[in-house]
Amino acid sequence: MIAGITLPMAASLLIPHRTPMRLVDTLLSVNNGCAVAESVLPRSTMMADGEGRLDELAFMELIAQSYAAFKGYLDLLEGKPVGEGFLVGVRHLEITGRAYAGDRLLTSIRTVGTFGGFAVVEGAVTRGDETLAAGTLKLWLVDPDADGG
Amino acid sequence: MNELRKGIDASATEALPGTGTETGARRYRFAPGFIGFSGHFPGNPILPAIVQVRAVVSLAEEEGGKALRLAAVRSAKFLAPIRPGEDVWIRYRRRVDSGMNLCDATLSVAGKTVASFQLELAEEETPR
Repeated sequence: MIAGITLPMAASLLIPHRTPMRLVDTLLSVNNGCAVAESVLPRSTMMADGEGRLDELAFMELIAQSYAAFKGYLDLLEGKPVGEGFLVGVRHLEITGRAYAGDRLLTSIRTVGTFGGFAVVEGAVTRGDETLAAGTLKLWLVDPDADGG
Repeated sequence: MNELRKGIDASATEALPGTGTETGARRYRFAPGFIGFSGHFPGNPILPAIVQVRAVVSLAEEEGGKALRLAAVRSAKFLAPIRPGEDVWIRYRRRVDSGMNLCDATLSVAGKTVASFQLELAEEETPR
């Protein structure tokens, strides 16, 4: 453990995304390949319509960014710069609920596997006890130690 | 309508009518100032995957004349990054399978497939 790297931690320290495309606020917890991140999107977000309703595509981005925050946290713990990751695949992402600006959204991710620079991640976005979306994403992770990236 | 979708719609440059295998096709050019590039990523702008999917849902809405919501991404592959100023063709096909309202889409840049996905859509109860 490196001094000063403790949770919760602002996602802006862990992922390369910046406003307005940064949707995750805080990485709350990390445990054995799993993590939970928090988001409260403001009414001014580009993802909200005039009634404050969030575009359902935000859920997909929340899962991807939550994993990125988890990976960034691990990079920091290892003394590396925060690496980049890119969404390369989605499987069976079911969207079952609706969210609004101001909702406290928790995104849980679980690392299913990693291989050859790729990670397969299960994720779910919840509000209170309600699951709003869940599915599996595949991400390509850029090694922050690699040359020429 | 949210600001992201407004930006997507404003980036459409050309439309083609449907064919026997396609419901329709549309060309987009996302300018460097497109809102979806803002913060994604600083110094390395890449069109977010959610923009690509949103564009297809919006096309399906427009074609069908009904407000739709994305019920599921059954599968999606994002094969190559899309950069500012590139011409992106979106070709899509809507169909009904086992009562499900599906949309298959392929995105290409310079004749090369850069993304493909299959979406499940549902009629929106409240128009956006």
